Amino acid sequence: MVLKIFFPKCCNTADSGLLVGRWIPGQDSAVVLAVIHYPFIPGQVKKYLSQMRSQSQVDLTVLGSWSMPKDGQEGMESFLKDLSTIFPHARWLQLGRESGKRAFTCRVVQKNGKPPADQEGDEKDKIIFIHYDQRKVMLSQLHPVQEKGTEEESTELRMVFHTVAQSEPLFFLDMYDQGPLKLTHWQSEGREASIIVELVKQASFPVCVILTWLVSLWQWLGSFRMLHVWPVQFISSKLSTCVQTGYRTEHFQTVFSTKKATTHMEFMRKANMFVSFLVDIALGLLLISWLYRENRISQLANTLVPVADHVAKELQELLEWLMGVPAGLKMNRALDQVLGRFFLYHIHLWISYIRLMSPFIEMILWYVGLSACLGLTFALSVLSDIVALLTFHIYCFYVYGARLYYLKIYGLSSLWRLFRGKKWNVLRQRVDSCSYDLDQLFIGTLLFTILLFLLPTTALYYLVFTLLRLVVVMFQGLIHLSVDFINSFPLFVMGLRLCRPYRVAEGVKFRVLSEEPGTPLHLMMEINPLKFSSVLQCYRTPTYSCYPRDSWVALCKKLFVGELIYPWRHKSTKTD
Amino acid sequence: MGADSDSGAPPNVPWRKVLYERQPYPDNYVDRRFLEELRRNIRVRQYRYWAVVREAGLVAQQVSCVAIFLTLWFNMDQGDLGPSKLLWASLGCALLGYGLYEVLGGGSSRERTRMTDLQSAAIFLAFTFGFSPVLKTLTESVSTDTVYAMSAMMLLAHLVSFPYTQPSPPGSLSLNAALFASVCLASRLPGALHTFAMLSCALLVFALWPCLLHRLRDRAEWSFPLATGLVCTAGVGGLASLWAGGAVLLFLALIVVTLVCPMLLVHLQRHKDNIHGPWDEAEIREDLSRFLS
Repeated sequence: MVLKIFFPKCCNTADSGLLVGRWIPGQDSAVVLAVIHYPFIPGQVKKYLSQMRSQSQVDLTVLGSWSMPKDGQEGMESFLKDLSTIFPHARWLQLGRESGKRAFTCRVVQKNGKPPADQEGDEKDKIIFIHYDQRKVMLSQLHPVQEKGTEEESTELRMVFHTVAQSEPLFFLDMYDQGPLKLTHWQSEGREASIIVELVKQASFPVCVILTWLVSLWQWLGSFRMLHVWPVQFISSKLSTCVQTGYRTEHFQTVFSTKKATTHMEFMRKANMFVSFLVDIALGLLLISWLYRENRISQLANTLVPVADHVAKELQELLEWLMGVPAGLKMNRALDQVLGRFFLYHIHLWISYIRLMSPFIEMILWYVGLSACLGLTFALSVLSDIVALLTFHIYCFYVYGARLYYLKIYGLSSLWRLFRGKKWNVLRQRVDSCSYDLDQLFIGTLLFTILLFLLPTTALYYLVFTLLRLVVVMFQGLIHLSVDFINSFPLFVMGLRLCRPYRVAEGVKFRVLSEEPGTPLHLMMEINPLKFSSVLQCYRTPTYSCYPRDSWVALCKKLFVGELIYPWRHKSTKTD
Repeated sequence: MGADSDSGAPPNVPWRKVLYERQPYPDNYVDRRFLEELRRNIRVRQYRYWAVVREAGLVAQQVSCVAIFLTLWFNMDQGDLGPSKLLWASLGCALLGYGLYEVLGGGSSRERTRMTDLQSAAIFLAFTFGFSPVLKTLTESVSTDTVYAMSAMMLLAHLVSFPYTQPSPPGSLSLNAALFASVCLASRLPGALHTFAMLSCALLVFALWPCLLHRLRDRAEWSFPLATGLVCTAGVGGLASLWAGGAVLLFLALIVVTLVCPMLLVHLQRHKDNIHGPWDEAEIREDLSRFLS
């Protein structure tokens, strides 16, 4: 039977006294939390312990006695032994240390007065002392995080951490208090606190109240009936700016709520959101300061119209090339001319529209650039929307081409079945034979021939416009990915992991301190911090992340058949 | 176990053809009734030479139909045959054929009324006439060799998949293949009216003529060999006007199909050796329609 005693490092040099701690239920181990020094009155000790028990919900008891005799303090041994009769116990520990020696001596006394286990006996109890840094263990959180109420199934390590963390009220009394009890623990040199933290804590409550009221006002504005008409709703679901705004509003609701965060995960989430929001604003302000210097806005506006013109001219040249003999392929002349002229007319409309807008561009850009003060993510969303608006004609061309191609493929596949004398059975979802009428056969074959010979022309137009559309979509996807990255990266926890790695713990590792035969084994417990990748995985803020809707194979299949593709799917925000 | 103790003397128990009982015979023992239910060649028909020749005429005449069609196309391509002339001729033949069809088939209940027939004709004429400009430009960008190769393949498919046993509703694949080939060829002609005329002619030759032939075969047995012979002659003669060698080839092919192949068929019947017995799969012979009410 191995008895494990978790002993705080700070109590290594404490004066003699009583050990206060907890026996871990179900395991053969004990956690020592503090040492109560002389002089003390046993009644007051018991009263204090019961008060602490109710405050911290931890099953605190007196574990045993600790003796570190200084000069002129002989005769404590027998006194300490007699203490075991005063306090109720199942097992009583008698730990001792001699100044100058590293190892402890330990005796365990059972309740029924059995003789103390001898170190050299046959049925000796092996005792292991595990030294731990009390402050670090108190502040750290073991991962994976378990919800409350499942303490019974925890492992021993979890229970140790939980015990130390919950015993915070015990650490308020220190050695210099004027009260009847003097304790030694990690805070025994005096409570540490910082003025700034205390001030922020005091001020945070009214600030939160005001901000929550502002957020609710904003939401009330947004819930107007007028804004829920279908066209407005449809457009606002497509514009990424509106999506980002809604997302940030939800964040604010969480962060500024007046309810204090109860669990570890809630607190981390709030902190992450807040820090990422601050960083976002800082980056946005940086962007503004760069953008509005040296007249960059007007430079940008001046280059925008020529760029749009240039794009339109390139498209026109592309269409002329398609109407000729593109890449040596021979197209059907009549259809070629029809399609080419149709698209050329669209481009002509587009160029006129741009020319109409050109006087107002600079002013629009100036105001739009100001929106970057709401955060870099906002500015990127606005950029994505501007790109979408500017390439709207490419989107239109793609839709026309795709629809035409899809109709053609659909017609061809159906007529090919007619060619072979078969038909699609909708009920059984399979191809069956069918006897057609003479005129059905005749017209079917005619149409099949026509569609087949016109296929290369349509396919080429479709291919060209799909490629253009994919380029635009890739660009927009990049912007969305970076917005998503800024939104969901858990900055606060990453900072914690870098600066105070013991706060996010994955496990522990043990180092042997002294291993001499005849003395109990002494180990030092050090906290293993969580890996960076696990930190990221665990604490990522769930966002409306856009990720590819289809796998590559499904995407290629859709492209081949001519279905319209919307490669990015926006997941709605999950609320845990 | 298994082998009898007294090998040599036959046991008294008669052998039964079962395997679930332990018998004093070895497992692979058979008695003299072995294979007494074997029957040979019970379903072999005795072909008579001239009947087979008569039926093979159908294959020959279909090949000749294709030859006639190709002749007409070539003549139009060369400009020897005008489209309006072909159109009038097709119309005349169509009316003649329709009258003949009615005369032969009159009396039995009609599935299609005259109105439906007229409707079909109107639809087909309108469609072809409407689409003929489009059809004309279809193969402009395709090279001549490709067009010829495609047409040849499609006509071959037509011949192969033609329902020779029941030509009256024309099979989908054969008719479609023939029409596809005719569209390919017709789009090579100089004008839209040419295309229209060619397509009408193709419909007559490939879709309507087999129906009439089938009706002839059913109702007027004596006229069937006459019609076949007429068509074959027309085919050979038409090809002869284009390419003498082709005519000779066609003639030879027809001879082989009509006369030589039946002789082979009849001659090889004596090598037939089918065995039947109770091990065959069961075939349901009786009429089950009384169960399906």
